[in-house]
This record gives sequence, C-alpha cells and structure tokens, in this order.
Amino acid sequence: MGIATSTKPFVERVEEAKKDKFMQASVAKAQDAQWDKREAARKELGNWEQWRDLGEQIRQHVIKYLPDYLEEFADNVEKKGGHVFFAKTDQEATEYIKDLAVKKAVKKVVKSKSMVSTEIDLDKELMKLPGVSVMETDLAEFILQEDNWDEPTHIVFPTLHKNRDQIQKVFEKLGYTGSNEPEKMAKFARKYLREYFLQADMGVTGCNFAIADSGMINLVTNEGNADLTMAIPKTQVVVMGMERIVPSLKEAEVLDNMLSRSAVGQKLTSYCSFSGKRTDDESDGPDDFHVVIIDNGRSNALGTQFESVLQCIRCGSCLNVCPVYRHIGGKGYGSIYPGPIGAVLSPVLDGYEEFGDLPYASSLCAACTETCPVRIPLHELLIEHRHVMMDKLHTDHSLTNTIMKTIGVGTGSPILFKSAMFGANTASKVVSHHDHDSVAGFLYETGRIGKLHKPVPKFARGWTDIRDLPQPAKSHENFRHWFKKHKQEQAAKGGK
Amino acid sequence: MGNANREEFLDFLAQKAKRPRHQLHEHPFQPLNDLPETTLSGKSQDELLEIAQKNSEAVKVDFKKVTTENLGKLLDEYIAAKKIKNLILPTTDKWNEFNLDKWQKEQAATYWQPQAAREVNIKTAQSADGAVGFADYLLAESGTITVATTAGQGRAFNFLPTHYLSIIKKSDIVPRTRQAMDKYDSDIKNGVLSTSNINFITGPSNSGDIEMVLVVGVHGPLDMTYVVVEDL
Repeated sequence: MGIATSTKPFVERVEEAKKDKFMQASVAKAQDAQWDKREAARKELGNWEQWRDLGEQIRQHVIKYLPDYLEEFADNVEKKGGHVFFAKTDQEATEYIKDLAVKKAVKKVVKSKSMVSTEIDLDKELMKLPGVSVMETDLAEFILQEDNWDEPTHIVFPTLHKNRDQIQKVFEKLGYTGSNEPEKMAKFARKYLREYFLQADMGVTGCNFAIADSGMINLVTNEGNADLTMAIPKTQVVVMGMERIVPSLKEAEVLDNMLSRSAVGQKLTSYCSFSGKRTDDESDGPDDFHVVIIDNGRSNALGTQFESVLQCIRCGSCLNVCPVYRHIGGKGYGSIYPGPIGAVLSPVLDGYEEFGDLPYASSLCAACTETCPVRIPLHELLIEHRHVMMDKLHTDHSLTNTIMKTIGVGTGSPILFKSAMFGANTASKVVSHHDHDSVAGFLYETGRIGKLHKPVPKFARGWTDIRDLPQPAKSHENFRHWFKKHKQEQAAKGGK
Repeated sequence: MGNANREEFLDFLAQKAKRPRHQLHEHPFQPLNDLPETTLSGKSQDELLEIAQKNSEAVKVDFKKVTTENLGKLLDEYIAAKKIKNLILPTTDKWNEFNLDKWQKEQAATYWQPQAAREVNIKTAQSADGAVGFADYLLAESGTITVATTAGQGRAFNFLPTHYLSIIKKSDIVPRTRQAMDKYDSDIKNGVLSTSNINFITGPSNSGDIEMVLVVGVHGPLDMTYVVVEDL
C-alpha cells in the first residue's frame, strides 16, 4: 500500500473522520497541550526566530549539496566496516533487507519507530519470509501492530485515535489481565517486549539524521527502544530517507534541540543517540551495520519549487497547529504523512492521481508555515500544488474561463454588479437555511447554503459538498452598505 | 553487499537538482549565527550546577550533590533505598579518579567486562536491578548526562538495568549540547576517543503513547539518579 493508508475517496474518509468524536476530542486535546508545551520550550530557549534561520540554513545547505553529503556519509560508514545501499524505490529497499535477513538466517526482528520503514511497507515484506517474525517496539507502534496493523494517525503520536479501553482490549489478547491504567499497561508492554528484544537477531531503526563526516546515525526517542534495537541484535539495518543528513555532529545537535522542542516541547528527548557499527573492543552494538538510503520519490522534489519540503525534520508541529487536521485527524488524509507536511509531501512522493485532493485539505491559514522550525513555506507549497494541477496537468480550463469571464463582465459593470448585489439574497433564498439556535446560525447570521443537489450544476455542488456557503446578505445589510454608514458615523463624530 | 548502484544514484540526484556534484569542498557549511555556542554561556560552575539541578529535577531525576569523601556512603544508601540485589558496575579506571577504589572492591557486584562476549554482558545487564556508572558531561540546560560507549561500559549497560545512577564531576557540567558535542567531535577526530556510540540521556525512559498520559520507565531504566561530585 506504500504511503496510502486507505483506498477510499477523500470525501468518504473525511465523512468517516467527522463521525469519530473520540478522535476529534483527542486531537484537539493534543493540539492544545502541545501548543502550550512547544511555545513555552521555544520561549525559554530564546531567539527562536534566529534558531529557525539556522535550522533552515542547515537543511537548505545539505539539500543543495545532497549527493556530496551522501557520498561522504557512505564513505565513512564503509571505512568503519559498515555497508550502504542506495535504493531508488521501496521495492529495491525491501528486497535488499529481505536478502540480508535470509543471508543472516534471521528469525526475530525488532524495530524502533520509523516513518520511512512504514512508507516502504517493510514489516509486511519481512513477514513474508518463512520463519521471520517482526516486532514494533515503540509503545504506540506495538499497540497498532497488535491491533491488526492499524494505521498511525500522527507522525509523533501514532495512537492518538485510541483510548485506554481500546488499548486494554488489544493487550488482553496478549495475556494482559490488569486494569486500563496507562502505567500498568506500559509495564506489561515493557516485560513483553524485553523478552523479545533479548532474542532478536536483527534490529531495524529509522534515522533522524545521518552524520556525514563520521558515518554515525542520530536517533531521537523517549522510550529507549531504539537504543536497545541498536545494542542487542547482531545485525542492524538503518532505513533513511535520502534527505535526512547533516554535515557533522554539531548540526545534528542543533536540529535535535529544535526537533525536541517542536515535536514534544522538551528541551531534549530522553534519548538522543549517535551510533554506528560497534568497534572491535566493544561487546554490544551491531557486528553488521547496514544503511539503506531511500529515494522512493523524494528526488521528484529536487530542482523544483517543492525542494524545500525535503528540509522537513518530521517534528509534526505543523499537524499540531492545523485546523483541518484538528477536524479530520490523520486518517482523513489517507497517507502515512498527514497534516500540512503530508499534504505537500504525499503528492510529491506518489503523485496527484493518488493524493491530488490533499493540497485542497487546507484553509491556507499559514499556521503551519509559522510554526515550522526549518521554515518550510508549507501553505505556499500547497498553493503551488494547486497551480501544478491546474496548469501542468492541463486541466480543462474552459468552464473556469467562462465563469471568470462572466464574473469579469459582471464586476466590471457598475449596473450589473449592483443588480447582482441587490438580487443575490433573494435569489439564494430557495437553497438557504436559517439556524438561529445553533453555532451554524452564529457563523452564518444571514443564512447558509448547505449541500446542494441536482439540478444545480456540479461545479456549484462541488463547493457545498465540502463546506457551507454563506447566504449573501441583504443589499441594505451588506458590507458596502455598512462601510458607507460607518464612514458617515465616523465623520459625524469628527473622526477620519 | 551492494554499493554498485551508488554512482548511478548520486548522478541521478545531481541531474534532477540541476546542480553538478563535488562542489561542497568550495562551499563548506558556515553557520549564520553562533547561538549554539552563546546560549547559556558565561556562567560559573556554581551557576551551571544550580541550573543543571533545576532542569534535571524537572525531568524526574533524583539529583544529588556530594564530595568525594561521602560518595561511597551515598552509593551505599542508594543501593539500600532501591533494594538493589544485583548491581552492575563498569570496568574503568575512573574508580580511582573518584576515590572509589575501596568502595568498588567491597561490592558484591557484577561487571560489564571488556573481553566478554556480547551475550555474557547483555545477560549480566539484563539480570541487574541496578547500575552505577559514570557520565562524561552533564548538560545544564536540559538536565542531560552524556555517555560514550567504551569497552568497559557498553551500550546496554545504560538501558537494561531497572535503576540507574550516574556519577559526574562538577567540573564536567557544561552549558548545553554544543559544548559536549564540540569535545566529542574533536576527541573523535583527534583519535583521543574511539567509540561507536554516544548517548545523551535526559531522565528516565518515558512515553505518552496512551492517551498522552506520561508514563515513566517504558524500555530503559525506571528511574535515574545523577550524583554530582562537587570537589572534582
């Protein structure tokens, strides 16, 4: 399935998400809590805008010289006895890792949370191998796995859509008999997963940042599972998106600070680790260290107006401020990369046919751009996607052109414009509603036009399928009328 | 295994980006500001200790200050309070540096052994309900200890035991991540430090994955104690 999490159309996914009241309440609670923590952490650091400048500079620099940095990194991994495989596609990556598992006669694989391994469907591919079992060891990913491989809803908080009772039921299938208290369930997971760790012969991790000048990889976690994944199994496979690289430990340190504050409002997460193949005098850590560097559509952004999306450090703060994400949650997007970053990245990776709806899942309020620690102009990129879809994909412009031409004639002629303003309220009465006792009534004081049906033309129905349209105000209550009156009142008071 | 595809892959990226390869040596990264160095700089060791304590306690660390003279007694009290039965210690010459030679020899402890097989050390660490180890630096800003893996204090030493205590010199408290990273970076590049792994550890293992309720101790130690030795 790759990055898609659903085969349903976008509108259907949104309808389902709208009905999931627990998810909506959880997302709202998470967004509000994270807002406070994130902003406090950034304020305490001080000079946040200048830190953003530095973060952006680091990320832009490495993207500009990406082949050189990847070459330097690969050389350094190999100098220390590790291996690097460059995979153009998800299939090349999974084939390499599966071949390795067969060659090493691997039985048990432990994984720490990695978006890119989800992107390439690595778990399911590995489980196709006879006798191989795979265990996600991040608590949230473990819950999703044991709940019949449910899909994540957030890139930092994957189980945001689940409540403690649902999780208790998942654990009961594994023999858990305790209460629904998070502490008790976490202890159960600790014991269950520890036993698995001790038997694992292959560890798979993601990579927050690869360090070009040392050949180390940097992982940022809170639970400690990634570190056990890098300590216990004899073979380690690192799957990394090709853009996740920094020049040296120093730039990794800068970005770890920005990532921790932006993702979870912490100064640093519990564990920030810099790691590679074990040295000869060390007894744990991987004997065999493999890094799989994955393109899988990322190069579509290089040299284009979308290049800055590769600056992303996967902090998820754009999800945490997004009003659309707040209402439809991760599943509404239908991509493992949801929210504003997902709406920009998913079409880059997998095309408009699959994800062409996502750039429209935005109010263009620009809160995402404002919060991004590495200054990705997310809302501008969403508009760019719309441009590309309209222009480069040669969408039929004839209807739009006719509409725009008609509007041009109407707004260009004072008589026609005033007539339209005068008649709009009366004309729209046929399809409008008044809800004086509801929130909708408050938002649409004059009235609202809800979902339209045939014989209204499809271009008009398309708008109201997704959102209400305010009924035009009566001509003596409209903005122009109000403004004229307001100016007169100000003039009477002696103001400007 | 496969690296034959490297050149083709990198050439393809250069072609897509419309930028030639091998330009980096003429355009090395030059940071546009010095915030990593200047943030929290200019503090005395006393001030850094105070900041470190506040920030460590904020991440649920049990923070203790002690002189070398009383260090052994503090460790005894810790082991008794946590009811530790199987203690693991690192193999290191730091015992002498911290005046703990005698204390160490008196312990009925197991050790992370430099020459032992992976399985042996991992089993020892897994059986340990307490670890007493040494940290390289303490970062005041975040309440973080840093530990580079050595032959005598391996990776799993820091993660498998139930309770964890880390000893640190007051003189090794630095303002923040940058100062520690500068030292690691230069030590690795100058051949002073040979390690495959550096851990920056900020308090105990935790997770907010169940209804965003903070749970402490998911995979790593259930609790963390930092002991700052004030006269070193």
